[in-house]
Amino acid sequence: MKDSDILHLEEPRLSLGDQFYLPQVLKGLGTTMKHMLTVLGGKDRVVQYPEERREDMKPEDGGMLLQTYRGVHRLNKDEEGRPRCVACFMCSTACPARCIHIEAAPSPWDDREKYPQKFDIDELRCIYCGMCEEACPCDAIELTSAYDIVGLTRQEMIFDKSKLLKIYDETVKSEPM
Amino acid sequence: MLDWIQTHIPPWVYIAFIVHFAILGTVAYLILLERKIASWTQDRIGPNRVGPFGLLQPIADGLKFILKEDYRPRHVDKVLFTVAPAVMIIVIIVSIAALPWGGVKQSTRRVTAPTQVDLKAAAATALPAGFNVIDAKEVDHVDPGTDVNGNAVPRQSVIEATYRWPFQIAGLNIGVLFIVAVLSLAIYGVVLGGWSSNNKYAFLGALRATAQMISYEIPLGLSILAIVVLYGTLDLTTIVDRQAHYWLGFIPAWNIFTQPIAFFMFLICIHAEANRAPFDLAEAEQELVGGYHTEYSAMRFALFFLAEYAGMITTSVVCVALFFGGWHFPGLSGNVDPNNPSVTTSLTVCILRSVVIFAKTLAIIFIFMWVRWSLPRFRFDQLMHLAWRALIPIALLTLLMTAIVLFVAGPMSDDFKKYQRIDGGLAAIFFISNVILLAVVMIASRVLPAAPDTNRRMRIAGSRFSPTPTGAPGAVDTTPISPALSSS
Repeated sequence: MKDSDILHLEEPRLSLGDQFYLPQVLKGLGTTMKHMLTVLGGKDRVVQYPEERREDMKPEDGGMLLQTYRGVHRLNKDEEGRPRCVACFMCSTACPARCIHIEAAPSPWDDREKYPQKFDIDELRCIYCGMCEEACPCDAIELTSAYDIVGLTRQEMIFDKSKLLKIYDETVKSEPM
Repeated sequence: MLDWIQTHIPPWVYIAFIVHFAILGTVAYLILLERKIASWTQDRIGPNRVGPFGLLQPIADGLKFILKEDYRPRHVDKVLFTVAPAVMIIVIIVSIAALPWGGVKQSTRRVTAPTQVDLKAAAATALPAGFNVIDAKEVDHVDPGTDVNGNAVPRQSVIEATYRWPFQIAGLNIGVLFIVAVLSLAIYGVVLGGWSSNNKYAFLGALRATAQMISYEIPLGLSILAIVVLYGTLDLTTIVDRQAHYWLGFIPAWNIFTQPIAFFMFLICIHAEANRAPFDLAEAEQELVGGYHTEYSAMRFALFFLAEYAGMITTSVVCVALFFGGWHFPGLSGNVDPNNPSVTTSLTVCILRSVVIFAKTLAIIFIFMWVRWSLPRFRFDQLMHLAWRALIPIALLTLLMTAIVLFVAGPMSDDFKKYQRIDGGLAAIFFISNVILLAVVMIASRVLPAAPDTNRRMRIAGSRFSPTPTGAPGAVDTTPISPALSSS
């Protein structure tokens, strides 16, 4: 880098008022006062989360569309209540975060060869991209719109098969397969 | 027992208790107010979960501070690290003593004391220290005799004594000087905290705070001086007393109208003194990770925090007393002497005056917070420029202007000659002089040479961008960096 490469900008010459700070300071104070008065007039921009939720608001008011939201996973069940998963490993192969861990075992049912003996998803590693859902050949894994999942330990946030099936039971009414 | 308390415990003891608990309680709620105002300016609503409207939040915060681990990093200077927050809070608490709360209370009481020629002196022996006896009448007397042990008892007088006492902790006649002197000691807390922390950020914060404090003490003192010259007294009670009348029957005779420039400078300087935005370079979170209190936690940190807010209260009360007529409010003028309105015989009025001065103080504190959440921080060289190239010259000019106006126009005003009060005519002259001074300053700011270039690119000889011209290591390159910069 040479000195000739440097572009020297002249500071704009301040007007008499600007040079005196105070007029601009008062202007700034006026702006914040306007904001204070709008909030005190009851027009704040706060969503009081547990009581108010974005999914209950209209999208034009800053609400959230649940249909397109990718939240926690569920394992779908078929009509007989069995997990639809056939342990084909497509989802865990597609997963960019490598958060799906499946252990297959010979299926106890005649209509399929394998079934997942273990099906763990590390919800802390998951990036909620939805690739598993796209990859699944039998619509067994799906992302629901539930986002308020909590746990006190990391271990708690590794969801196993029974928990994922339970999420299906809880969400199947509001979000049919 | 009640009699003993009345004759031995002066009222300032009670006032001291009430004022300290009130101020420390207010400090806790000021932190809530600060958070609320921060939220409001940012379109949020602020803490509202702990108690109704978040009113119990300060209690939760206090509990947290007390229960947190009092962590002290290794290799800090143990003694100074402990002393620094204490210095900070002690200094602020001492400065509370001289604040004027309720003017002067006049009371009358019947006391019995050994007879003296000087009845006032005799009455003073029977009253707690600090009372100014202005009138004493003998209403009855007890003849000399002997007590139960047979000792001679001299003649005793029953005296109806009228005495005055300032409704504040300490009625110092150098009040404002005392407060400024004591508050400037608060910098020791900052410097000791920053130095003893053994942390470069804390140290940088302390360095900045020192330079800032030295610079801003001067215009602060000079703007106070503009008021002191006006009334010829340093006693805050008297200064308030002289403001407690009206011009044209409805304009309160507050100094904000006679000395607006001094007021603005005072306001700016107390922002800098309190180390608050836009002058919070000592604790700039973004650059210095918290500045001088980076290494502090738990209650030690809370003491720094408390001191900051208590300091705001102190300086705001001084600001109200100097520029906003202190307790002055319609209906609260004293009932003893119209030319000395701070003297009152009613305790209720004294208490109401304290409420009024506190309300005005809260208004000033609101300005503090409002400014904090509106203005960005100064750069350090801008901070120094503001003090040395703007505030100090203007403050000196204001002082000169005040002296000249008082010298020329003072003797023409009867009110000023008799009571050293500013009447309507003199106030108008002062206001016009202020406007003229402002115009002069604005013109001068255009005519005077510009500030030297700061923050320009410095050549470091031998660096990647500036190879040494002679090839010798350490040789200084004297060629100008650019024509644009070298010309100024």
